[in-house]
Amino acid sequence: MSSVSINSAAKATIDIDVAIAFDGFHLSLQQQLPAQAITGIFGHSGSGKSTLLRILTGLEKRAQGQINFAEQCLLNTRNKVFIKPEQRNIAIVFQDSRLFPHLSVIENLAFAAKRCKNSALKIEDIVELTDLTALADKGINQLSGGEKQRVALARAILAEPKLLLLDEPLSALDNHNKALLLSLLTKVQQQLNIPIFYVSHSMAELQQVADHLLVLEQGKVVDFGNIHQVIHRLNYPTPLSKPEQENGQESGQSNLQPATFSGLTQQQTSLALQIKAHHPEYGLTSLAVNHNSHIYLPLLTNKTKLGSEVRCFILANDISITLTEPSNSSIVNHLSGKVSEIQQQQHSVLLTISCAEHDFYTRITALSFQQLQLKINAPVYIQFKASAVKTFNYSTGE
Amino acid sequence: MGENSDLIALLTTLKMAALTTIILMLIGTPLAWYLANMKSRFKVLFEALVALPLVLPPTVLGFYLLIAFSPQHLPGQIWQDITGQQLAFSFSAIVIGSIFYSLPFVVQPLQKAFEQLGTSYLEAGATLGAGRFDRFFNIVLPLTKASFITAASLGFAHTIGEFGVVLMIGGNIEGETRVLSIALFDHVEAFNYARAHALALGLLIGSVVLLSLIYLLNFQQPDSDKRSNKNAHKKSLGKGL
Repeated sequence: MSSVSINSAAKATIDIDVAIAFDGFHLSLQQQLPAQAITGIFGHSGSGKSTLLRILTGLEKRAQGQINFAEQCLLNTRNKVFIKPEQRNIAIVFQDSRLFPHLSVIENLAFAAKRCKNSALKIEDIVELTDLTALADKGINQLSGGEKQRVALARAILAEPKLLLLDEPLSALDNHNKALLLSLLTKVQQQLNIPIFYVSHSMAELQQVADHLLVLEQGKVVDFGNIHQVIHRLNYPTPLSKPEQENGQESGQSNLQPATFSGLTQQQTSLALQIKAHHPEYGLTSLAVNHNSHIYLPLLTNKTKLGSEVRCFILANDISITLTEPSNSSIVNHLSGKVSEIQQQQHSVLLTISCAEHDFYTRITALSFQQLQLKINAPVYIQFKASAVKTFNYSTGE
Repeated sequence: MGENSDLIALLTTLKMAALTTIILMLIGTPLAWYLANMKSRFKVLFEALVALPLVLPPTVLGFYLLIAFSPQHLPGQIWQDITGQQLAFSFSAIVIGSIFYSLPFVVQPLQKAFEQLGTSYLEAGATLGAGRFDRFFNIVLPLTKASFITAASLGFAHTIGEFGVVLMIGGNIEGETRVLSIALFDHVEAFNYARAHALALGLLIGSVVLLSLIYLLNFQQPDSDKRSNKNAHKKSLGKGL
């Protein structure tokens, strides 16, 4: 099972240059996206993220422009090229799963496998990978929401797509099932090496699994790049034009400016850190920030090996600042750093604090800002509770 | 008229109804599919045309068909050129007439079922690599099976009971166009009430049995089928009747 891979390691890209307008909605975007690992697509409802997926699958036939995917032209309206959905080899998991109600779980999976031209994957292997063995002979109506989405994911995988699209696959699920499916998704991606585009309006979900992030607003690209960098850029309501962003390697970078983004409702620090140690006696796990400092978060219970990477985020409201090193505090996490950016907002101030190689974002009141008399490059300590370090994994243990 | 003539009329009727039903399923399915997916504002016009036989007196339909089928007019002329036989007052004529007459009974349940089914399962099928016909036979057909049974049964039952159209374009030729309803009419005309009763009661019981079977089938669908389609064909069944 472990050696099964249906895509070669070649780094394919998908070049999108499409426009569509209907019912007062306009979408127009030019973007090159990597067809590797997991690319998140984030936006509020009506931003065009689901429409983009429908255009990629070919289910939305009104789109104008062109799409090229790994040397293959999927759409070119000028040359009247339109590859039908059934010939694109792009699978999609819908929000509402869309399992065929007249077929059992295993028959739904066989539907996809039978129509797959490759057949490198065996149904039994995927059933095992997605933990569906006990459900194989059940009818679709007997499944819970989480089970349905797992079947839908398995069915899409068995089509052995060159690209797998997920359209808000977790939106109807509770937190426990969300966490389960997210870890399954990461496992599937790593074992089978299928490139995935993951659409969601939940930054917490995307932060867990995506490597790149595309942000859409009103049918336009707001930002694209490394997930942590994009989240940090989004912390500032007006798009920042940091000169060092992504060295312009993404062609879409140059035309980021037309759309303005209302910003994240909750500014945050996005991190991917290695597990340093588990402390079950305290109910904590520590993550290495750099060689000599670490942060604590609630114990990661199951199977998270030392040294493996954990995605986590800390809301800006949960980080506070002191000028002297805190001692005698119940707050377990404190790091020293320097103020590297200051942005005054209405009644608060958003600060970027550089600690070791990481930027942390904290929001303090205008009053605190005045009392502390903070300036760029001022040395400060940031502190936050272990429970402020959020990750989706914590709920899987229960 | 001997005892045999009623049997011949029965066979003619069954042959006409069976042939009509088969042809109707073949042309009614794509027509219903087309109407269900039509977005043009002329959709209502097409729907009205399909529904017309529900309200039009059969004799009106029969009258226009009779004119069209006569050798003096193009459809009848073409038919005669190809087959060498006159179309009006032939078995073929009453089958063609029945197709028009029973069209809404087949198209409407199917159209409702297709509309109810929507596009979501088809889209899922397409992204899994299923082409058009594959999607139709492996997704649409199993999910709307009950509506297909309803459509075929209604088309068949309605064709058996037709009178006005057959009388206009078929006349009353034994073994060719003399169907049960016309035989019944003949018996009444001849004051042969005993045989009229036999035929009428037979038709009545036959219809009740057939309709009961349709309803029975609708309630015996497996759960999954019922969920997505029960309402569709119940509604159309009500409308059709």
